[in-house]
Amino acid sequence: MSTKHSKAAGKFLENKGLAAWHDETLWMVRAKRDKVSKEVPEWEHLRDMASAIKMYSNSHLEQLLMEFEKNALANGAHVYWAKDADEYCSIVYNILKGHQVKHFIKSKSMLAEECGLNEFLENKGIEVVESDLGERILQLMHKRPSHIVLPAIHVKKEEIGELFVREMGTEPGNNDQTYLTHAARKNLRRKFIEAEAAMTGANFAVASTGECVVCTNEGNADMGTSQPKLQITAFGMEKIVPDRDALGVFTRLLARSGTGQPITTYTSHYRKPRKGGELHIIIVDNGRSRILADQEHVKTLNCLRCGACMNTCPVYRRSGGYSYTYFIPGPIGINLGMLKAPLHYYDNVSACSLCYSCQNVCPAKVNLADQIYHWRQQLHTLGVASSSKKLMSGGMKFLMSRPALFNFALKNAPIVNSLPRGMIYNDLNDWGKEREIPEFAKESFNEMWKKNKVK
Amino acid sequence: MSSREDILQSIRRNTRVRYEKPDLSGLEHEALTYEDKLSKFCEILKQVGGQAVILKDKENVNDMIKAAYPEAKRIASTIKEIKTGNTIQPITCSTFHPDDVENSGDLDGTDVAIVDGRIGVCENGAVWLTQDVEQRAVYFISEALVIILDRNNLVNNMHEAYKQIDTGEYGYGVFISGPSKTADIEQALVMGAHGARSVTVILI
Ligand code: SF4
Repeated sequence: MSTKHSKAAGKFLENKGLAAWHDETLWMVRAKRDKVSKEVPEWEHLRDMASAIKMYSNSHLEQLLMEFEKNALANGAHVYWAKDADEYCSIVYNILKGHQVKHFIKSKSMLAEECGLNEFLENKGIEVVESDLGERILQLMHKRPSHIVLPAIHVKKEEIGELFVREMGTEPGNNDQTYLTHAARKNLRRKFIEAEAAMTGANFAVASTGECVVCTNEGNADMGTSQPKLQITAFGMEKIVPDRDALGVFTRLLARSGTGQPITTYTSHYRKPRKGGELHIIIVDNGRSRILADQEHVKTLNCLRCGACMNTCPVYRRSGGYSYTYFIPGPIGINLGMLKAPLHYYDNVSACSLCYSCQNVCPAKVNLADQIYHWRQQLHTLGVASSSKKLMSGGMKFLMSRPALFNFALKNAPIVNSLPRGMIYNDLNDWGKEREIPEFAKESFNEMWKKNKVK
Repeated sequence: MSSREDILQSIRRNTRVRYEKPDLSGLEHEALTYEDKLSKFCEILKQVGGQAVILKDKENVNDMIKAAYPEAKRIASTIKEIKTGNTIQPITCSTFHPDDVENSGDLDGTDVAIVDGRIGVCENGAVWLTQDVEQRAVYFISEALVIILDRNNLVNNMHEAYKQIDTGEYGYGVFISGPSKTADIEQALVMGAHGARSVTVILI
């Protein structure tokens, strides 16, 4: 136990109740995903096509982004290009300043998080209000999201109840989820109406039409953009897709993979500014074009930010989003962090049992586990190989080189399957802390072979 | 050099293998279809928290809306009338047109909005709306949403839907699948996060 991840995971596990709830709840989301994906017989074909569209789009970015720009301009939008986070923040600020905006309402955007937009604007005196309920809760708590789709998954309703008493004047002690959600609805209504500008990210930007597509369940992106007439939409350039036929593929996969819904409640298509309003679109690079040259990791650009790889990850479920040092946790975050700054974020590379579950659920076929494995091979070159992981493989070698002991271990392994979870994941079991214990086969291959079951 | 040029140059310099654009026709052919689209649509809409009702012969749409939302006082409608077969039914239960208000914020407090659905998607209960009034807020701000949809305009899946949609003169359109929802507090599902708390699709 030596990396920053495993230390933080240890802390998360101290609150046993919350940790168990977190694990079980995310597993339930994963199970919902399994159920709805099985209702679609062509599921694997969909994933193949999603991946193929992304491979095409991300290898034709110049052409598609220029086509998008041309169409967006023809639709009456303003288009900006931002090389990095600073430029993106400045562009947003200048638009707001030019319109004397004091109140700014945002819907959820991982890009804004990546670029530190809120802090930047607040330092300049602009009130930024997050409108996604989970994001708003965290904003008021001065905390960061711990999951990209379920940002407040680590927060208990009692904490939210107390927060709302202070912030929204709710009844003390009433922690009912419906009551609290509707209190926030009322409170944020005012914020939507008084805002002078609204911002959204984009799940997809369509080259052939110049429109941006935003998917939400709450309807907050639409509440925002239908009140003030000034709209800003920003996206990382890998969000580009060639045409609406591509949307047919992605909208079938996104919510099914992320939350187990057949589609998000709202799938909004913003093509033109509102009458008498303005639409400003910012295309952001911030390191993405550099990833194009990295054949080993280029597929990270396929990512739809659905969150499925987090929900399924045995390490993420048991360690929580805050145990990762990069702002995006889980399998995709491990890889994106390494691409951003390997010496800064290498701790996360250990937060993986190489069970490959993430890679199997990813709707856009990002080869997440292959990439993590690849990073691990490079840790030596970076000079940061973890001593505990070296010990682990040392332990495996010890067993492998002593066949009798190995056979004994394997024979007794099925017992683990029937043990209560508390015994498998007890405090003494450091391995279980970091990894999902694999289901051991009831009979080992050796035994079956001896009994002539294997031909 | 401008950032635009810098970025495009960086893309050119770093792009390696160029992949072909995939042919989606195989997938689109293979995609889910339903024998009874109408009942599938109703079933899925219910699953996502909405309700579908089928307008029967001689039944009046205004009565239906009033029965579904008896308490409603402020009722906005973007449509004047509906056509069923050879009869025309005027919408009489509405109290105002959304573009009558001065500011979009004035629509706050609308109890029901009656709007026109263009296409219904059976696999997910979503209905495509093309913005057809200036106050786009009406689709989101009202407490309940009533969507009028021609039952002949149901498609099986999103592939089919995307071949038909249009964002119209206003340059905006949205698929809405049931009421606004959130599970951000301990994963408990709550309807009515920011948009409509209740969605009824009336199939005519
Ligand atoms: S890597 Fe795949 S599974 Fe993970 S968030 Fe991205 S699209 Fe979803």
